[in-house]
Amino acid sequence: MATLSTRRRALPVLAGVVALGLLGTACGGGSSDGGSGGKTTITFANWADTEPATQAGLRKLIGAFEQAHPDIKVKSQPISFTDIEQRLLLQVRSGNAPDVAELAGNDTFATAETQALQPLDQLAGSAYEQSIIPAELQLGKVDGKLVAVPWTVGPVGLWYNKKVLKDAGVDPAVPPTTWDELLADAKAVHEKNPKTIALGLDSTDRTFGLDTNWPIIKSFGGQPFQGSQATASSPGFTAYLDFVRKIARSGYTPVNQKAGFFRQPAASDQVAFTVDGPYLKSVVQSTAKLTDQQFYDTWGVAPLPAASGQQHYSVATDHQLVLFKSSKHQQAAWEFMKFLSTSPEGIQYTITSEGSLPPVAQPGGDVAAALDNPVAKAFREQIIPLVTRPEWGATYAKAYSPVMAAVQSAMTGSQSTDAIASGLQSDLKPALQ
Amino acid sequence: MTVGTPAAPTARPPRRTRRRGGRPWFDWMTLPAVLILGVVIGYPIVRTVLTSFYDYPLISPGHRYVGARNYHRLASDAVFWQALRNTAVYTAASVAGAMLAGLVLALVTERLRGPWRVLRGALLTPWAVPVIVVGFLFRFMFDQQGGVVDAVLMRTHATGTPVPWLTGGHWAMTSVIVANVWSQAPFFLLVFTAALGAIPAEVVEAARIDRAGGWTLLYRIKLPYLRDAALVGALLMIIQNFNNFPLIWTMTEGGPAYSTTTLVVYVYRLAFTSYDLGYASAVGAVWLVLLLAVAAGFIRVLRRRPV
Repeated sequence: MATLSTRRRALPVLAGVVALGLLGTACGGGSSDGGSGGKTTITFANWADTEPATQAGLRKLIGAFEQAHPDIKVKSQPISFTDIEQRLLLQVRSGNAPDVAELAGNDTFATAETQALQPLDQLAGSAYEQSIIPAELQLGKVDGKLVAVPWTVGPVGLWYNKKVLKDAGVDPAVPPTTWDELLADAKAVHEKNPKTIALGLDSTDRTFGLDTNWPIIKSFGGQPFQGSQATASSPGFTAYLDFVRKIARSGYTPVNQKAGFFRQPAASDQVAFTVDGPYLKSVVQSTAKLTDQQFYDTWGVAPLPAASGQQHYSVATDHQLVLFKSSKHQQAAWEFMKFLSTSPEGIQYTITSEGSLPPVAQPGGDVAAALDNPVAKAFREQIIPLVTRPEWGATYAKAYSPVMAAVQSAMTGSQSTDAIASGLQSDLKPALQ
Repeated sequence: MTVGTPAAPTARPPRRTRRRGGRPWFDWMTLPAVLILGVVIGYPIVRTVLTSFYDYPLISPGHRYVGARNYHRLASDAVFWQALRNTAVYTAASVAGAMLAGLVLALVTERLRGPWRVLRGALLTPWAVPVIVVGFLFRFMFDQQGGVVDAVLMRTHATGTPVPWLTGGHWAMTSVIVANVWSQAPFFLLVFTAALGAIPAEVVEAARIDRAGGWTLLYRIKLPYLRDAALVGALLMIIQNFNNFPLIWTMTEGGPAYSTTTLVVYVYRLAFTSYDLGYASAVGAVWLVLLLAVAAGFIRVLRRRPV
């Protein structure tokens, strides 16, 4: 009996020990000193390593960097494009940020607002800054400080399929310069073949959806908000809502589709116009097995149209590189960033794997030859100068959803566009506070 | 003040952990489980409720106490009320639809014998399909650009133009509910099949001797016997549908506009795309109270049922 009693008394203690053990196991994590055989190891959070189109190219690029810098090892942290901002914010909050990260659009500026990004002005120096396209460099500045450098350049333009336009009786040599002209061309395309997507436009409720629509809204003379001020109730914004309602109701564009949705139909000549970046070329070519010349014969790109009397705009969908303040190897990390951004290997990767444009201002040699084509010229000479930066930052993260919900409401609902704009004006106020 | 001398203890006082009957009120062997539940469920709930009283943006470094301001904001937030309505419609229509479909299937397959019973197994397969796969499957089927549903409707001349199943205001909610009913009807098929099998044979036999027809047998005998099973199944499914995120997210992402945004989708957007953790926590706290009310109802029903 005494033994039984002792056992009974021991049970609670044992249970407690087991519980603490389990908790300890749950809470404990592995540790890493970041070193690798005396080398400096830097971590690089990116989505390029998660996508089949870019994975091999990125790994080759990292290998080339490590070969050129034998004392530095790069550890890739693959995180999908849709998850990277959340993951980085959580990593920053838990004091576990990587050294370098690939970011894009609002994600860069939202992350910058955590105060976790290292200003790069001193590391970069004037020689680097002068080697980059000024407009692209400007996109990485917050409060005058450089917090992100461009890696791949992807401004948005109006792609048009010459074959589809010609079949519909539209002159492909003269792409539309106003939205009214585009609507007239879209009508012709739709009447010729209703199954053809007349205009591919991302209208999803995502920050990228608003990014794509931002230059279009501006080209109507509107802007949904400015700083912390809601400015949706304006003639320009209402005119934009009328435009998206027209393209949706006329069946010119399917609603609530991502930009990527239009790329596969584009490859099979089922899209007349689409609002997209330079990477459309590589998707269409790889899908339709087109040579460069065949592609240029089929597709052209021009600046986005504007409403009559209004300015033309574009938006950057660049992939940028940021360095975290918590990095213990900032010089090594910067060397890696510079290599990705401006080295011949990095530029080669940008053009071939990403299908984008390099950020260098004065390309020479092989790079200049690779960019000597009508598409690259149109982007570099006509579209990049039109790039406008949306109101990226913490308020953008809160405001994009009401704006895109209003856009979808205009496309699918029956409420007047004036009422939708007024409703958005009210909805934006608490979001922007 | 005088204090009476306490009676000398004649025996060891009972341990505080024991009830009079000798049964412990707390079994120490459950301590590990209780601690783990406290960490993975209790702590997040308490933290969520506390966070709901703060302005807590994940992006900005600081956060500040704002009292009940997030709850005041809820009262005037049109999207919250629409999400609540959508949640009610989605849950009610899904549960009712799945229950009806499950009941019909259970009754139709009740008398299957021999190799035909394989059919019942086949009907259960949608339940085994992961919800996210169901979402993508129906998204492709309802696609306005080449989806099979519109293709069939147009080929049979049921409609002249493609129906915007996922992009039309009212159609989107209907489409999501149809997909959900397809996915959940097998659960009710299983529940009702088991309940039908539990009806005493002599009761059915007696009804037949009294010349009860098929419909009378259904209304007077079978349905009353299925009532408890239906109630338990419905309550379980109400809780599950209240939280059903992947199906809606994969099919519509809560759109177009907010036409398929339910509370769980709204909380996700607030917390993980707008990073407004304080307000998201307030919505989450209200959502938790609603779920607790349903769960309390579920527990009451379970207690009342004969074991």
